[in-house]
Amino acid sequence: MSKLGRVVEAVENYNRFVLKEVKRARSEKKFGQQMIDRWNEVKAKTPIGTAPTGLKLPRLALPEIDEAGEITRYLLGEGLPGEFPYTNGAYREMYLEPLREPEVGSFVKAGQNGKNGHRKNRKKAPALEKTKQTEEPTRLFSGFGLAEDTNKRFHYLTGHQRSARLSTAFDGPTLYGIDSDADGVFGKIGEGGLAIDTYEDMVRLYDGFDMGAPDFSASMTISGPAPIIMAMYIAAAKKRFGPKVVPNLRGTIQADIFKEVQAQNETIFPTEASLRFLCDMIEYTTREMPRWYPVSISGYHIGEAGATPVQQAAYTVSNGFAYAEMLAARGIPVDQFAPRLSFFLDCGLDVEYIALARASRRIWAIGMRDVFGAGPKGQMFKLHTQTSGRSLVAAEFKNNLTRTAAELMLAYMNGTNSCHSNSADEPFTTPSEEWIRLAAHGQAILLDESGIFKHTMNMLTGSPGMKAVERAVEAAMLEEFRQIEELGGVLPAIEHRYQRSQIQTAAHRYEEQIYNGTRPIIALNKYNDRKDEMPEVKMVRTPRAKKQLQVDRLAKFKKRNAAKAERALNELTEVVESGKNFFPMLIETVEVCSLGQITGRLQEVVGRFRPMV
Amino acid sequence: MPSPVRILTAVPICDGHDSAINTINLDFIRHGIEVVYLGYHRSVEDIVRTAIQEDVGAVGISSYNGGHVEFFSEVARALRKQGADDIKLFGGGGGTITEADATVMRRNGVDKIFFAGTALTEMADFVRQHYGNTHRRRRKATPDMKLARALTEIEDRYAKNKRAGKPAKKKAKSLGKTRVIGFTGPGGAGKTTLIDELVLRLLRRAPQARIAILSHDPSVVGAGALLGDRATMINSQNDRVFMRSMATRGQAGGLSPATGECLALLARSDFDYVILETVGTGQEAMPFQNELVQKRVLVMNPDYGSRLQLQKIVMLDLADLVVVNKSDQSRARAAVSEIEQRLEQNKREQKLLSTVAKRHRDAGVDQLCDWVMD
Repeated sequence: MSKLGRVVEAVENYNRFVLKEVKRARSEKKFGQQMIDRWNEVKAKTPIGTAPTGLKLPRLALPEIDEAGEITRYLLGEGLPGEFPYTNGAYREMYLEPLREPEVGSFVKAGQNGKNGHRKNRKKAPALEKTKQTEEPTRLFSGFGLAEDTNKRFHYLTGHQRSARLSTAFDGPTLYGIDSDADGVFGKIGEGGLAIDTYEDMVRLYDGFDMGAPDFSASMTISGPAPIIMAMYIAAAKKRFGPKVVPNLRGTIQADIFKEVQAQNETIFPTEASLRFLCDMIEYTTREMPRWYPVSISGYHIGEAGATPVQQAAYTVSNGFAYAEMLAARGIPVDQFAPRLSFFLDCGLDVEYIALARASRRIWAIGMRDVFGAGPKGQMFKLHTQTSGRSLVAAEFKNNLTRTAAELMLAYMNGTNSCHSNSADEPFTTPSEEWIRLAAHGQAILLDESGIFKHTMNMLTGSPGMKAVERAVEAAMLEEFRQIEELGGVLPAIEHRYQRSQIQTAAHRYEEQIYNGTRPIIALNKYNDRKDEMPEVKMVRTPRAKKQLQVDRLAKFKKRNAAKAERALNELTEVVESGKNFFPMLIETVEVCSLGQITGRLQEVVGRFRPMV
Repeated sequence: MPSPVRILTAVPICDGHDSAINTINLDFIRHGIEVVYLGYHRSVEDIVRTAIQEDVGAVGISSYNGGHVEFFSEVARALRKQGADDIKLFGGGGGTITEADATVMRRNGVDKIFFAGTALTEMADFVRQHYGNTHRRRRKATPDMKLARALTEIEDRYAKNKRAGKPAKKKAKSLGKTRVIGFTGPGGAGKTTLIDELVLRLLRRAPQARIAILSHDPSVVGAGALLGDRATMINSQNDRVFMRSMATRGQAGGLSPATGECLALLARSDFDYVILETVGTGQEAMPFQNELVQKRVLVMNPDYGSRLQLQKIVMLDLADLVVVNKSDQSRARAAVSEIEQRLEQNKREQKLLSTVAKRHRDAGVDQLCDWVMD
C-alpha cells in the first residue's frame, strides 16, 4: 500500500473516532463536562469588535449549541479556525481587521500615489506592521514583455498595498527552459508572461524591491525548469544584497511536476529526473531558506484543463501526499519540509466550490498528522486560490466581472490564504491595466469595503448546504484516492495516464454540455441574442524591438561568459551524474550560463520528457 | 469510396495548451477525418516536415499563449518555400486571436481562422468540405514529396477498390542495403517509445543513415482515425527520418490493406532502415506475412497474465526477437524466464531482450540497436 491508501484509512478512522467521541461525550458525564467547559471558555475569550456602524460583533462566530455531543462533533469534526483538522481555516483570524478603532485616512487611494503612497502609508501607521494582518491576501499574477516592463507593472500593482506580494508569469520559451534566441520562438518572447534568459534579467525584474525585507515576497509560476529559475532568483538576490540575504528570502515557486505531467504539459525532463531535481531544490531551500515555499502543489491547471472540481482537489491533494512520501524517503525530517508545502486551487462556479477547500484542508491535516507524523505547522493546508479563467468568456465579456466576483466570494468563504482574481479581458489577452485594476479592486471591495469578511471569522461557514457539499466532496475525493491506490499510487497512476485521461474525458463532457446547452453560459449559449463583434479591448503585445532587445542582451551575456560557461556546465554534469544534490552547484552555474544552455546540457544527461497523449 | 480527408493538427512551440485540440481531434475523427496529431510544443520545422511526409490536405494549429501571428505566418512561409502551399493552413486560439490578427494572418497565407464560440461540428464540416481534395501537382517536388504523394496514391487506390493492386513481389535479397524490421505486440507494451529510442540510437550510430517508419493506428469503425504516434516520438522528428502514419481503414490484424504495397515502395526507396509498426495486436495476430519484413520483433508487456497465455500467442513462434519492455516492473523477471522457456520449445534461434524504453540511455535498447544493425 502506498501512503495514499493509508491516508484513506486515516480519514475513515478519524471520522469513526469523532463519532465515538460524540457518543462518549453524551454518555460519560465527566468527559461531556470537559467539552462544555472548553466551549464556554472559547466563547468567553472571544473578543468583541465594532463595525463602522457601531454594531458589536464577536470576532469568532460559533454554532448555537450547548449539548456535549454536538459541541464535541464541532470541535473535533471540523475544529475552530486554526485548530485541527482545520476545516474552517488554517489560521485563527485570517481576514479580520486588527482589533482597534478604524484609523482615519490610513487608506491611500489605490494606485494614485504609486510607490510613494506605499511608503507613506507604512510610515503613518506603524502599528499595522505589528499586527498579524499586516499583509493583504491579494496577490496578482503578472508578467509580460521584458523584465523591466513587468517590474514597472509590479510597482504599479503594489503601490497602494501595505506589503509587496508579487506573482510572476513567464513567457512560453522560459516555461520550456528555452532561450529567446532559439529557432522559431521569436514571436513568443514576452507573450503571455515575461522573458527570462539569464539571472541578469532576474535582477532587472525585482529592481526597486527589497528582496530580503519581511514584507516582500515573490511568487514564481514555473515548473519544468523551476530549479534553474530558483537558482537565478537566489543569484540575483545575492548580487544585489550579498550572501546574507539568502535565509531571508520569502516567496513561492510552483515547481509542481506532477500536475505538469497530468495536465499542463510544461515538462522538459523525464518525470523521474524532474522529481529528483525538485527534491534537490526542496532539500536545499527548506534547510537554507526557511521562509521559502519551494513547491506549490497546484490544482488550478488541472481544473483549467477540464477536470471536475472533485478530480482537481483529489489529484492535487494526492500529489501533495506523493511529494511528502518522496521527501520523507530521502530522509528529510517531516517537520522540515511539511510546513513548506503549499497548495493552489482553482475556484469556479460549480457547486463543489462551496466547500472544496474545506474538504481538502481536512483530509490534508488528518493525513499529515496520522500517516506522516507531522506537527501542527505541517498539517496546515496553506492555500492560494485563483478564480477560474476557463469560466470567463469573450461574448459580452463584461459579465466576467460578475463571474469573478462570485468566485471570489466562494474562495474567501473557503478560507483561502491568498487569492488572485482574474481580469475580465483575459479570454483575449494578457490583462490590460484597466481591467487588472478592476480585478484588484474586486478583492478590496470584498475584504476592505464590505463587512462580510473583516469582522467575524466563520461568517458564512457551517450552513447545512455547505456541510452537505463538504461531506459529498470528501467522500468523492477519498473514492478517487482509492482508484489511484489501486493503480499502485500517484506515480504508477501517472504512467498509466490515469489522471490525464480522466481529465480529458471530463473536459470533453464540459464542452459538450456547453454546446448542447445543459451547462448555461450567459451570453454564450443563453441570452445570446446580441450578436456583437469581438469586443474592442486593448491587446497587450510585446513590440518587435523589445523582442530583439532581449535577444541582443542574451547574445552579449553569452559572449561575455563564453569561456566560463563550458567549464561550469561540465562541473554541473559531474555533480548530476554523481547523484549528489545538484542545487548548490546550480546556483553557481546560473552566474555564467543561460537558461537554455543549462536545460540543453541537463537534457543530454538525463534525457528529454516524452509527451503523453 | 474516396479516401478519408487527412489533416495534420499540432500546438505551436512553447505552448502546452492541448485541451482544445484534444477535443477537436476527437470530433474530427467522429466526422470521418483521419487526423495525424503531432502534439504540443512543436516547431515550425517539425510541422512542415510532417505535413509533407504525411501528404495531408491541410494543417490545423491550435495556439493559446500568444505569438500566433508570427507562428502561423512562418508555417505558411515555410510551406510556400518548399513548394507545398497546396497544403492549406487553418487554426484557432479561442479569444486570443483577434479579427485584426486574422486579417494579417490571412494576408500571410493562412486559409481560415476559427474564432471563439465556433461549434465543433462547424469546424469538422468545413474541413471535410474544403480540405479533401487540395492536392495539386507540385512543380519542384523533392524526393520526399514524391514519395509521400506516391504513398497517398497507393492508399487512394485501395480506398476506391479493395483489390486494386497486388503487393509488388520483391525478393528480400534484392533489397540491397535496406533492412526492413517489423514491430508488433499488444497495446500498451511500449512499441512506439521503443522504436523512437531505437531511432535515436540509429541516427547517432549511423550518421549518414536514412530511416523510414510506417506506423499504424486503428480506424474508428465507420469513421476516421487518430494517428497520434508522432506526438510521443520526439526523436523521430528529424530530416533523416521519413515517417508515415497509416490508418487500418477497416482491416483487422494490425495493418492496412495498402500496407504491403506501401512497404514495398519504401523498401525500394533510398532508406537504410525501414521500420514497420503494427497497431496493438491480439494473441492470434501474425501481421508479418509479407516476405519483405526481414526481422520480426514482438514487444511484450511483463503483465500478460498467467503462463498459460504464452502458449496462445502466435507471434512467439514467428518472432526473431522478443522484447520484454517495462522490465523495471516487479513482474518482469518472472516474465523473462517464462518466455525463455516458451521459446525453447520452438527449437530455433530466437533472441530475447529486456528493455526499459522510457529510461534514458537504457542498456537493453542499446542491445536492440546492436541487433538491428547487425
